[in-house]
Amino acid sequence: MSTSTLTIAEELQERFGPAVFGVQETRDGIPTIWVDAASIKDIMSFLKSGVSDPYAMLYDLSVIDERVRMDREQHYHVASYTVFYHLVSFGRNEDIRIKVAPTGVTPAVDSITSVFPAANWYEREAWDMYGVRFNGHPNLRRILMPNTWTGHPLRKDHPARATEIEPFQLPDEKLQREQDAMMFRPEEWGLSRGTDEFDYMFLNLGPHHPGTHGLLRIILQLDGEEIVEAIPDIGYHHRGAEKMGERQTWHTFIPYTDRIDYLSGVMNNLAYLLAVEKLAGIEVPPRSQVIRVMMSELFRIASHLVWYGTFAQDLGALSPTFFMFNDREKILGIVEAICGGRMHPSWFRIGGVAHDLPKNWDKPIRDFIAYFPPRIKDYDNALMKNRIFKSRAMGIGAYNVKEAIEWGVTGPGLRACGYDWDFRKKRPYSGFENFEFDVPLAEKGDCYARAQVRIEEMRQSLRIIEQCVNNMPEGAYKSEHPLTTPPRKDRTMHDIETLINHFLNVSWGPIIPAGEAFFGIEASKGAYGYYLISDGNTMSYRTRIRTPSFPHMQMLPLLSRGVTVSDLLAILGSMDYVLADVDR
Amino acid sequence: MNWSLTKPTGETTGGAPSLQTAVQQSLVLTRLQDLVSWGRKNSIWPFNFGLSCCFVEMATSLTSKYDLARFGAEVIRATPREADVMVVAGTVFIKVAPVVRQLYDQMMEPRWVISMGACANSGGMYDIYSVVQGVDKFLPVDVYVPGCPPRPEAFMEALTLLQDTIGKERRPLSWTVGPQGVVVPERPCQRDLKRDVRTKASDLRTIDSI
Repeated sequence: MSTSTLTIAEELQERFGPAVFGVQETRDGIPTIWVDAASIKDIMSFLKSGVSDPYAMLYDLSVIDERVRMDREQHYHVASYTVFYHLVSFGRNEDIRIKVAPTGVTPAVDSITSVFPAANWYEREAWDMYGVRFNGHPNLRRILMPNTWTGHPLRKDHPARATEIEPFQLPDEKLQREQDAMMFRPEEWGLSRGTDEFDYMFLNLGPHHPGTHGLLRIILQLDGEEIVEAIPDIGYHHRGAEKMGERQTWHTFIPYTDRIDYLSGVMNNLAYLLAVEKLAGIEVPPRSQVIRVMMSELFRIASHLVWYGTFAQDLGALSPTFFMFNDREKILGIVEAICGGRMHPSWFRIGGVAHDLPKNWDKPIRDFIAYFPPRIKDYDNALMKNRIFKSRAMGIGAYNVKEAIEWGVTGPGLRACGYDWDFRKKRPYSGFENFEFDVPLAEKGDCYARAQVRIEEMRQSLRIIEQCVNNMPEGAYKSEHPLTTPPRKDRTMHDIETLINHFLNVSWGPIIPAGEAFFGIEASKGAYGYYLISDGNTMSYRTRIRTPSFPHMQMLPLLSRGVTVSDLLAILGSMDYVLADVDR
Repeated sequence: MNWSLTKPTGETTGGAPSLQTAVQQSLVLTRLQDLVSWGRKNSIWPFNFGLSCCFVEMATSLTSKYDLARFGAEVIRATPREADVMVVAGTVFIKVAPVVRQLYDQMMEPRWVISMGACANSGGMYDIYSVVQGVDKFLPVDVYVPGCPPRPEAFMEALTLLQDTIGKERRPLSWTVGPQGVVVPERPCQRDLKRDVRTKASDLRTIDSI
């Protein structure tokens, strides 16, 4: 706990004086402090190492294009763009958000990569998406968009729709041009091609490769079979989800969230809706909270099963995939019976869920609770105790707690090095404080430890689901709040005012009050959250999606130096990422 | 061929068959063209290729519950040069389009393309700057599978439709034999074919029961 009696804002004020401009009110209660862009590096190092219980993790970093914001005048916005930094202190169990307003024709601010190495990719993304320059960045180049792209897509004046820009064509000359632009040139990355004595081999793994679990390209600098340097090249799966959030209504963005971490279905809805509900001040009734927890935990198991099967496959065991996909089918059967969809049910709504649980909903879930534990035990015998599996996973891709926090690792990856941090326990949301479950930990932080944590997590999720089934509260499945979607129909036929409001809510969608709120949850891959800014409109002004896989992927070079290519695939498999979660 | 079949009742049939039966059971008479088409349609090897969410459903169709092996299409090939069909499962991103095109170009003739899911069909939900509005903007597509993502059953239906087409396709057996060029059978719109059956549906499952 913090020994200082000063709030962090006062501490910053005391230390930096006039460089601290003021504190902004936000709906999420995270201290949001505007500071002078010129002092950003000093302030960041102070927060990272100068305060008690320091803010050790760079959780998120991005930009807001403020130019057309309706409630602009009410804040400290003095420039067209705002760069925000979101840091987490585990000691305090608190977050802080620092905002700066870079000025100039090409907005620029000092890079903080020397303080937080994890800022590297975030700053590249900010440059790619917004055209904000970061002075002193080691390699400020595009990360998500192709090298041949012109413009910065998340700027408000960049077209959102593909149908607004020239239709896509791929004549042979263009194909050649694009292929040339994708060519890897070691010099651009500060890599040597070799010496007079020997050459390094450069291996291009991906963007389409069975071992990368999706569209990911990794360029490997090899000395024999040993990896000297690995450079992930991402962005092949960039679906513009954040831009989409600025054009869909608050309600119609829900299906897009399903497709961020596409293995975790409604768990994505949950993170988004908790942020919207915080912004709008909506209280969710207990029944819908428990339904939400139950469905999310089912999806956590489903996601972990896909991870387990594909990880086993990466290590050379083909048959486990078939068993695990069968178990996953059982979960998807339950999901389909309750929600009507399989992978992307989009079933949660602002203020609750889409409809009440069907009759006899608990039967298939109880069956699954009885069915699943012996299966995990079988898999333990077949895989976790398997000599080949162990020798491929133990001692490979290990990192310690310090490195994990430095690189923004959350979720099972953090717990696998023995750090007890689960947002469901530390910052309970959606009623998680009412459930009994343990947070599985492992010690070594290697591929095997990550597998141990996830397998135990499946058992714990099953415990939570069982508690949901046994203690499902009666009552409403949706809040009575007027901003829920779809709005309550019951009272519309009594007076014209309610009818009009209902009509507007159905046709335009709800207007969420102006403000800013972040909400993060413990998703299946790690800390996952939405930072939403409303300027009092039917859609979000800025939707920032903080996904766990992005920083995890950034850490890959650290883990793969000195190992062989086959170990790299074990590391990739154990990381459990989804490319849509990396690139959004 | 000597064989016998004993029923539970004790009755035995079989024994040495007559010449006529033996011939009937061991000879197949067909045209070479039909034989080749039959072989081709029952051994469509898919390219191990996926773009996003749809690929998970495509992979699911390979697993035990759906078992794509029943259609002879489970031999996933990691190199395009050994594959017959490319299932474009997922969103076609502008950044990855040149790669998709190159992989398609590396496939040997005859080759087919199944466009799986709304994104690959038309861009689907993603009318956004980074997404190509349908893979048919730069590849010829044989079957489109609707859905976001399509269920494994939908993908398997697409595969069987493709098999039907391939079975009826006429390709020259060699550059010196018969007429040259590929004769592709008509591929009617499934929506039109199924409309009558679908409009007759009167009872749909309600959301209140499982």
